[in-house]
Order: sequence, then C-alpha cells, then structure tokens
Amino acid sequence: MPGAVFWGQLMNDRVLRVQDLAVHFKVREGLLFNSKTYTLKAVNGVSFELNAGETLGIVGESGCGKSTLARAILGLIKPTRGRVLWLGEDLGKLDEEALRKRREDLQIVFQDPLAALNPRMTVRDIIAEPLWTFYPRIARVQVDERVRGMMKMVGLLPNQINRYPHEFSGGQCQRIGIARALVLNPKLVVCDEPVSALDVSIQAQIINLLKDLQKKLNLSLVFIAHDLSVVKHISDRVMVLYLGRAMEISSRSALYKRPLHPYTSALIKAVPVPDPKLARIASDTGLTGDMPSPLDPPLGCVFHSRCPYVVKRCELEVPALRRMENGDWVACHCAEELDLTIGKAPT
Amino acid sequence: MKPTRQFFVLAVCVPLLSACGSDDGERLPGSLDRHARAVELVVAEDGRPVPWVLAVEQVLHRDNGEEPVTLDPHLAEGTPSAHILRDLFEGLTSESPTGRVIPGAAIRWNISRDGKTYTFYLRREARWSNGDPVTAEDFVYGLRRSASPSTASNFAQVLLPIANAAEVLAGKVPTDQLGVTAINDHILQIQLKGPTPYFLRLLNHSSTYPVHRPSLVKYGSAFSRPGNLVSNGAYILKDWVLRSRIELVKNENYWDAENVIIKQVFYYPFEDQSAASKQFRAGELHWTYGVPNNQFKWLQRHYPDELVISPWAGSYFFGYNVTREPFIENQDLRLALALALDRDLLTEKVTQFGEQPSYALVPPGIGEFVSPQPEWADWTQAERNDEARRLYAEAGYSEDKPLRFEIRYDTGQNNNKKMALAAASLWKQVLGVQATLVNEEGKVFLRNREQMVLTQVFRSGWTSDYADPFGFLELFRTGHGRNYYGYSNALYDSLLDEIASERIPARRRRLMFEAERILLGGLPFIPVYTYVTKRLVSPRLKGWESNIMDHHYSKNMFLLKSVHEGEASAAAVERDEERPAEPEESVTEEVLPTATEEGQANEAPGEHAAATAAPAAEDGQASEDPGEAANSEEVPKSEPEDDGATAPAEAVPAEVEALPAEIVESPQVQSEAPGETGEVPEENDAAGGDSGSGEGFRE
Amino acid sequence: MTQDSGMLKHTLRRLLGLLPTLLMLITVTFFMMRMAPGGPFDSEKLLPAEIEANLNAKYHLDEPLLRQYFRYMGQIAVLDFGPSFQYKDWSVNELIAQSYPVSLTVGGLAMLLAFVLGTTLGIAAALRQNTRVDYSLMGIAMLGISVPNFVIAPILILLLAVYAGWLPAGGWDWGIASMVLPVVTLALPVTAYIARLTRGSMIEVLHSNFIRTARAKGLPESVVIRRHALKPAILPVISFMGPATAGLISGSVVIERIFSLPGLGSYFVTGALNRDYTLVMGVVIFYGVLIILLNFLVDLIYAWLNPKIRYDEKY
Repeated sequence: MPGAVFWGQLMNDRVLRVQDLAVHFKVREGLLFNSKTYTLKAVNGVSFELNAGETLGIVGESGCGKSTLARAILGLIKPTRGRVLWLGEDLGKLDEEALRKRREDLQIVFQDPLAALNPRMTVRDIIAEPLWTFYPRIARVQVDERVRGMMKMVGLLPNQINRYPHEFSGGQCQRIGIARALVLNPKLVVCDEPVSALDVSIQAQIINLLKDLQKKLNLSLVFIAHDLSVVKHISDRVMVLYLGRAMEISSRSALYKRPLHPYTSALIKAVPVPDPKLARIASDTGLTGDMPSPLDPPLGCVFHSRCPYVVKRCELEVPALRRMENGDWVACHCAEELDLTIGKAPT
Repeated sequence: MKPTRQFFVLAVCVPLLSACGSDDGERLPGSLDRHARAVELVVAEDGRPVPWVLAVEQVLHRDNGEEPVTLDPHLAEGTPSAHILRDLFEGLTSESPTGRVIPGAAIRWNISRDGKTYTFYLRREARWSNGDPVTAEDFVYGLRRSASPSTASNFAQVLLPIANAAEVLAGKVPTDQLGVTAINDHILQIQLKGPTPYFLRLLNHSSTYPVHRPSLVKYGSAFSRPGNLVSNGAYILKDWVLRSRIELVKNENYWDAENVIIKQVFYYPFEDQSAASKQFRAGELHWTYGVPNNQFKWLQRHYPDELVISPWAGSYFFGYNVTREPFIENQDLRLALALALDRDLLTEKVTQFGEQPSYALVPPGIGEFVSPQPEWADWTQAERNDEARRLYAEAGYSEDKPLRFEIRYDTGQNNNKKMALAAASLWKQVLGVQATLVNEEGKVFLRNREQMVLTQVFRSGWTSDYADPFGFLELFRTGHGRNYYGYSNALYDSLLDEIASERIPARRRRLMFEAERILLGGLPFIPVYTYVTKRLVSPRLKGWESNIMDHHYSKNMFLLKSVHEGEASAAAVERDEERPAEPEESVTEEVLPTATEEGQANEAPGEHAAATAAPAAEDGQASEDPGEAANSEEVPKSEPEDDGATAPAEAVPAEVEALPAEIVESPQVQSEAPGETGEVPEENDAAGGDSGSGEGFRE
Repeated sequence: MTQDSGMLKHTLRRLLGLLPTLLMLITVTFFMMRMAPGGPFDSEKLLPAEIEANLNAKYHLDEPLLRQYFRYMGQIAVLDFGPSFQYKDWSVNELIAQSYPVSLTVGGLAMLLAFVLGTTLGIAAALRQNTRVDYSLMGIAMLGISVPNFVIAPILILLLAVYAGWLPAGGWDWGIASMVLPVVTLALPVTAYIARLTRGSMIEVLHSNFIRTARAKGLPESVVIRRHALKPAILPVISFMGPATAGLISGSVVIERIFSLPGLGSYFVTGALNRDYTLVMGVVIFYGVLIILLNFLVDLIYAWLNPKIRYDEKY
C-alpha cells in the first residue's frame, strides 16, 4: 500500500494543523437595484490540530459552519483567512492540480449518501473512479479486485458490483461512499455528518464500521455531527462549533462529564435520553431563543444572546479559545467560574 | 451586472434594427450590380434583335407564383400550370405578345357560313419534341381525352361549344362521338353545337392541346413527367423538382425553333412574394409573378425600370345578396352604398398599385368593348356622398336607426381585409352605417357565398380568361352557378341569350352594352376597381408586351447583354466592324421586335390588314398544299368589322409568315387598329366557356 | 431478467402502446377534414355538374363516408396515401418522399447545429456563472428566443444575399450554399433555447452532491464536467429535443416560405386550405408517426442516460 511505511513514522505526530481558519461568503439579497451584499462568516477563526490515527468529533447545530469547515479543511473551498497545514504543507498555497493530487491522502464522506453518488454510475465505477484517476495504468482486473475488496471491507456483497446507487438502501449507499473514500488509502477522512440522514438503527452500524476501519487502517478522522451522542462513540476529542467559531475542544471523557462551555452543556442536555427520570432535566437545556442569523452574529461572545450565564463582558469582548489546565480548550470568559458537570442542575 | 446586460442587449439590437430599416432604405450598390443595365436594344430589318446585343447565356428565370398543380394539359388549372403549358405545348391557335390570336399549330383555318364548322390546316413541318409529325389525329385524340369522363378534367367546360361535348362529358355517349374529325393527317375539322365566335380563343387553352398518343400509352398518367413528356411547343420539359423548380429547354424540333432565342427556362414557385422580390433583387430572377403588397412606393423609387404595372382583365367588387334583407328590392339603398365608396381613395390607399377605380362590371380593354358608365361616375365624391345620404335617409335609415349588415370576406395574401375595413369605415363616415366585418377561411367563404344564406355584402370579383365581356355579364344570369347575388332579371337573361347567338361583333357589343346598362341599373354589386398585374422584370428581358390577359410566351423573349458584358465582348471580337453600321437602320428600345407571325401588323394601321393577308395567305397555302384550298368552304373574307353584316365568317389571320415584309409591330399601332383580323375573335360570346373560370381566380 | 431483455420488452411494450394513439389520430383527422366546409374541387370558377360528378367518382368522394374511411384505412395499411387532389401529377407518397428529405436535411442540420452550439454555449456560460461572458451569452440567447424567424430571416437575406451576394436569397439545390441561411435561421432560436436550458441545468447539476463527491475524489475539473455533470445537465435538453426535432424536421412553414424551400411544412397549410384530403392525411400521419417515434427515441435516450428510469417499470 502506497505510503504505508512513511505513515508509520508519523504516528502520533500532528498530521493536520488548522490555524485561524475562516471562510466567508458574499451573499446578495433583494432584487435588482436595492440589493445589498452581506458577508456570511460561515467559519470564523477556527484552529485545531489532529494527530495521526486520532478522531476529532465536530459538533454544532445546523448552520454553525460544520460542513463548510469540513470542506475547507480538505481544500474543497478556498479559505478566506488562516491556514490548513497537512503534514506541514499549507494546502492553501497549492495550485489546483497539486491540491488535487493530495486527494489521495485527504478524503471526505458526505452527509446524504444517495445524493452524493452519481446515479448514472455503477458501484464499481463509483469506487474505482479514484483509482483510474490516480493510477491510470492500473489493470482492470486489479481495479476490480480492489473494488470487491473494498466492498467486502465496508460490508457490501461484492456481487452487487454492477448495481446502481438507487438500488441500495441509505445505509448501503453510505457504505459505498465510505468504500469510495477509502479506496485510495487516505490518511485523513473527513466525515461530514455521515449518519444524520440515516435511521437510528443504521447510524450505529455505520459508526461502528467507521470506528473499525479507523482502527484497522489507522486513519485520522474528522467526524462531524450535529448531535453529541453520535460523536461520543467514535471521537477521541470533540470540538463544539457555534456560529463559525469553536466553543470548546475537549477530550471525549472530559467533555461528556464536565463540559467547559455553557453551549456544550446545553448540547449534552439536548441529547434525547431514554431514562424518563433524566428526561425532565434533559429537556431543560437552559438555552433561550433561536440561534441568531449567521449573517448578523452577536457582537462579543457569539453565544451571549442565548447563554444562561451571560455577563456584561460577554457582550463586549470576544472570548479567545484558551487552554485550560487539563489541556482542553474553551472559548468562554467564565469557564473557570462555571461548573457544568452533567447531572447537576444549572446554577 | 444588470446595467452591463442591458447595455449589451441594446448593442445587439441596434445593428439589427438598422438592418431592418434598410429594407426601406437606400438601394445598395450591390443590388445594382446584380441587375446590371442592359445594352441598348438593336433590331435588324426582320424585327429581330441583332445577335450582338443578345446575352451569351439565354437562360430565363421566371417566378411562377405557386407550384403548378399538374403539367397534364387536360387536367391543368390555375395560372402557374397555364404559363408553363403555353411554353410546352401549342394549340391550334396561338397568341402574339400583345394577346392577339395568331396561327399556332394550324397555319390557317376556314369557318363555315353557319359558324359551326371549323376546318384547320395544320403546319406540315410541325413536329413533336421526339421528331414525330404533329397530325390532326393527335388533336382528335387530345380533344377526346380532354372530354372523356375518365380523365376527369375539371376544365373540360372549355370544350362545351364542341358538338356532343356535354354528352361525352356526362358519359352518355362514347368519346368518339365528339365533334372532332381528322380529314387527313393535316386537316382537322371541328363541329360546334352552335356558332361560337370566340372559339378560336379557346384553342390556345391547355384543355384543347394535343397530346402525344404513343407516350401516353406507354407511360399512362406519368406521361407528363420529365423525360416522358413529349410536347409540340417551343420547349421541352427537362426537369421538375417538386416545389423547387421546373426546367424547360428549347425544343429543337419545334417548327419555329430557329426564332426561339431563350434556350432554357426555369420556373420557380414562390409562396411568398417578398421572397421572390428578394431573389429578384439578388439577381436570381428575371421575372416575378407579383410584388409584395404595400411596397409600391419603395419599389417605384428604387426599381422604377423593373417595376411593370399594366391593366389586367379583372374586376374587384362587393356583391350584394339581393335575396336577403336589407338589400331585397332596395335598389336605392344599394346605390347609396355604391355612391359612398370613394374609389379614388381606395385605389390610392389600399390597393396602391395603380388600379383603376371602376363604376361598371367589365374591365376596360377587353377587345373594343366599352362599358356603360353610370351618371354618377362623373360626379365629384362630395356630390356622390350627398346623393348617398339622401338615398340613405329616403330608405328610412338615420343616425338613430343606422343600417346594419355584415361584410364577408376571405383571407389570403391579398387586400381583402383592408378593403373590407376601408369600405366599412367609409360607409360609417359618410352614412353612419354599422357594418360588421366577417373574416372567413377561403373555402368556408366560397361555400357561404354560394349558399347565399348568411351573406349580405361580400367580397367578390372576376377575372376573365378569354377576354370577353360575356364572361362577366353571364355571372348575373338567373340561376347561373356563380350568381351569388341572387340577381334575376328576365330582360337581362334574354339579352344574354341574344348575345350568345349573335355573331356580328358590333351588334354583339351593343347587346352587351345594353345588358351591362341594365345590370348597373339593378346594381346587385358595387364596382370598386379593375385589376392590374404588377411585377418586377429585369430590364435585360425583352420581347414581351404587357397584355390584358397576362399571357407571356418565353419563346418570344430574349435577354440583352448587360452593359458590362457588352463592353467586354465588343472589345473582344471584330464584331466591332458591324457595330457602327447597324444602329442607323435599327429601331431601338420600346420597339418590339416581334416574331414573324406577328408581322402582319401594320404598315398602314387604318387599312384592312386582312386584305393584304388574304392574297398572301393564298400564296402561302398554294405553295404548301394546293389541294386543301379547295376543301375550304369559305374564302377568307376581309375584315368583318363593325358593320360586318357582310361576313359571317371570321377572317383568317393565317399565313402571315408568308408575308414578305417583316415589319416591326409597335404596341401603339396595335391598339389604334383594333379592327385587325387578329382582333376579331375577341369580339366573342362565351356561351359555354365560363370566362372567369380561366386560370383560376387570382386573389 | 437481465437488463437488456428488460429493455427490449420495455421498448416493445411502449411501441405497441403507440398504435392506438396513431389510430385515433388518423380517425380524428379523417373525419375532421371531411367535416370542414367546402370540398377539394370548390373554387371561384364554375364546375359543371357532369365534371364534378366525374371528379367525385374518380376520387371515390361519391361513396358513403364510412366506406371512404375504411377504404382509406385499407390503403394506409399498405402505406399508400393515395393521389393528391391538388398536385394531380403526384401521389401523396411521392410528394412526401420528394419534400421530406429537404425538411429532414434542413431540420436535422439545424437541430445538430442548435444542439452542439447550444450546449457548448450553455456549458460555457454555466462554468462562468455570473461573469460578463455568462451575461453576454445569455443576453444573446434571450434575443435569439424573442426575435422571431420571420424577422431574422429577411435580415439575413438582405445582408448576406441581396447586398453581399455571398449566398443565394432562396431556393434549394442541395448545395451547401442554399442550406446555410435556412439552417442558421431555423437553428438560432433553438440554439438560444438550448443554451439557456443547458446553462440552467448545468448550474443546478454543478451544485449537486455527487459533483462535490467527484471533486472530492480528486478528479480534474474537466473530467468532473465531462463524466459526471454533462449527462444529467443534458437530460432536460434531450427531453426538449424530442418534440423540437419533430417540429424542425417536419418543416417550418415560415422558413419554407421565406427561403422558397420545397419542404414538407407548406403541405400542412396548402393541403388544409385546398381541402386536399389525402395530402393532409398523409402529412398528418407522417408527422404523427414522426413525433411519436422521436418522443419514443427520447425516452430511450433518457433511459440510457438515467438508469433509474429503466427500472422504474419494475416497481
């Protein structure tokens, strides 16, 4: 397998560094003459690092910029500001062709598994296409063998190789999507809400599959979801995103026990809990109002408009993402003062 | 972004618009080049153009209106077929460029005293295009075929004057009972039912043409296809690409082939007259069938030499249905509407091409006939309007109780709609009439007009094929198939009967005059204007004349060199020597160099040309076939003119080719000497021949 | 059941399903034609009764209508459209056979031109969405759609034929020169329409998820367009092309008039106006079959381009 030896040497190294990444969109509203241009700050200064073989979960409500972040990480969108360093190389400085070459290492699994597959291609072609592209001389037999192997690996029957995407269920489609992403042996896979379009029962299967594969192939994984419960099982660390900014980056164990950020705490409480005793508490997330429009985010801490612990400072000053004692990161002025341990009623 | 886009659209539009405009703009030099000026026409002593003024390429491109429906002469109908068939075939008689009857396949003929037996002497040298001689038997065969019910010719009514024709047509007697006999190979006798003075006219109609029997036997109904068609006219059918072109080439076996200058004729169908005029302007046509309506001023300004407008034997009028209210028995009201129509305005603003305002039925220029004019024809329009208002009020109508009726018309490429609109507004303006316009599809209109149930005032008109006023007058006979007017007048009908049997031209004209006077008194129609033909003709094309029937034979035409071509060739060849010598003897430009058979024309217009012709005829005949002379029942008499009680027989305009003098005929002379032999057949009765039937009504 | 035999069965079933449509078309046209006031031999001129009787007998118009109908159905069963009433020297089969190649050539070339040019321009505009190129192309396209043939044609004739003299002003001789103007005129609005259609659907497709996937796979952009975006982007164009092609190759009356082309289109008009029953029936049936077949062809192409449709019948 290409690059395997080299990859071993980089174990436990920081393979991905994201520094102050921002993606802004220009949005025009209105008709003809009285149209106004707004800037949509989908991702606004996000920084994190990722080790080889590590899984980072990224969580946030819809519209918080998760998908944009995912694509920006992979260079599918040009960032407005900041850098993405892959193995020390700034992806933003690469031209289109060089960036394209990096696709061998950097892959993505999309949210809507069926829509993400070209309906006019058979499973074989979908999975094999990256191979043709990066290894044009590879023999057809080899391609077939590899495709069948991948199908087996993701839990598909290799004899379904000539079928079209619409002949598969959603879960199966996502398996195809995963096989497609993994066929080149990438080192980093970004999973952009890979299970949110699937039934709950199937979600678990896919997550387990990804987890297995990650272990087996020693992948670095960025796993995006809008729901903390999904991320819980797979992530080593979790980043919580709100209105294009990172609120908290914590190890899984710490985050679920004692979140550092009020928003994280609210998200944890929003997770549906099967235990009816706890359900009452869970329904009370402590969040007020809806998420503000990303076109017009609040000044100061972007979360202050909904934060139950808001203080004057929050409205004036943007809190920096700072490292706490335990090594986790948080962007809250009051992180030290708050004890958001789960199970306790909010103070 | 948006302003950019708007600007762009504008930028594209501007050149387009200016291009549109150029249609009405200046005539660009490009088009001038493509219709180069012609060299001056020079004719030799024999009246024919001298060779060095002729273009090298004698290929004629004619716009022929619509696609001809058939080239089977016996099934043909419509002008397009007729034009081509006149080039392909030759009947017993033919026509000069000005439209006089001249000998065709028959070199001369005799008519019996009772006017019922015609004996034709065929040209011995006449050949079919494959070289077979043209015989009397061919004509017998052709006429029988034309009359046969199995042919189902819808033009066989032309044959009705022939004895037994009606019975043959109806299938009551076999075709060999038709009154047509071949005396020998070159003498043909035709028996008529009754005296039919216009009969010679009919004999250049396609339904009387001979057909080549062997090829008909061989090819059946496909005999009229290119390659199969054997014809006896000046041209042969070479190619027919459906709705694209029909190509004729000169028939080298034609008896007068040496005088046929145009070697090749292309007939093109054009459904769109503006398309034809564009092709003309691009230099691809020499002759158009018509011109687009409403372009008169532009054409007159930019193509004054090419635009040819001349009178045409047809009338446009509005008909009244006198069997329906409000026009039953209401002559004064009918007159009021007729008076209130400002014809000068209509012809100037609506038709625009120099059509003549008309106050009668029969268009001027048909033979010598002059229509009676109503008294009010000389009034000013203001006087007419006053009288119209008086009559209108007398009829019991007023502003509070206006006259209401429908004007019915059909659509087409013509001015019917505009005309109806203009009439309605004039009537409203002058009288306060509330007329409703009803527009109908062609065949629906015809059906409604015929049934006379819905009609009140309707678009009507008539064109004549045989240049005889009777064809017009007959329309108003009680029970006539085309009497959509419901007009019935016993006196008028009896006059028509008299005209039908009257053989003395002057007397016949007087009867027709009287009939038309009665008709104009009854006024079952409103005369509006008389038609013109309007077309673009290359100034290089000569040898044709405007004629009221609009019949133009390609064999008489020729193409002059363009000035450019003339200079080039003049410089090239030593013809230069001839050149200076010629012009003094030659006649130029307007003078028509005629084919020899027209040569009879006129040294002395006042004289009886027949008097000169007759001896010559005898000479010619004698030299050809002395035996036949004895067969003729009549010695051709001279000049059955006005007081022609003298001669029941038609004069024979034959043998003119034998005339020693080939004199150029000028059109002016022609019209000044209407009584010439050639004219006689025009004073005719059209008993059986529905003249309007002709080549289709040109809308 | 393999995919191919399924396809074949599907095809046959569809074809059989078209027969009643055709039969209906023929029957309705037949009786509607006969119901129209006036007959083929009505004209301004007088037709003596004997002659009219001869004509009616020759064309069997003297028979009861139903009998005529069955006679006609029997004829067309052996593909004989009968003699034309109007063009007496020709049978309807000959008329169609002579004029159809012209319409097919002009229409086919126009469609080809429109398709190639339209999709190219449409894709070019879509790839440069909201740029000046895009706006210019779409501006021209809008103009192409909104300015009718009968305006463009005379302008082209005046400029290129009458003034410049480069091309013939009309007529048809199977030469390239005589084809240029009619083909271009006929193709212009269709090109414009296809360009707009392609642009719209291309933009839509380029935003779809599987294109994102294709890019994520690391395909060069050209491959993304060619292999992934082109087919789905062209689908709406294909479904538009079915009836549009039928329209173009059955002859445009306007174009035929303006350029004096001996095509099929004029027969619809002249045939109907002259009550040339057989000619009208002939062209209607011909056109009907053409439309049906072309739509059918479009369905097939559609299925080929879109595997989902192939299997829809199963469910």
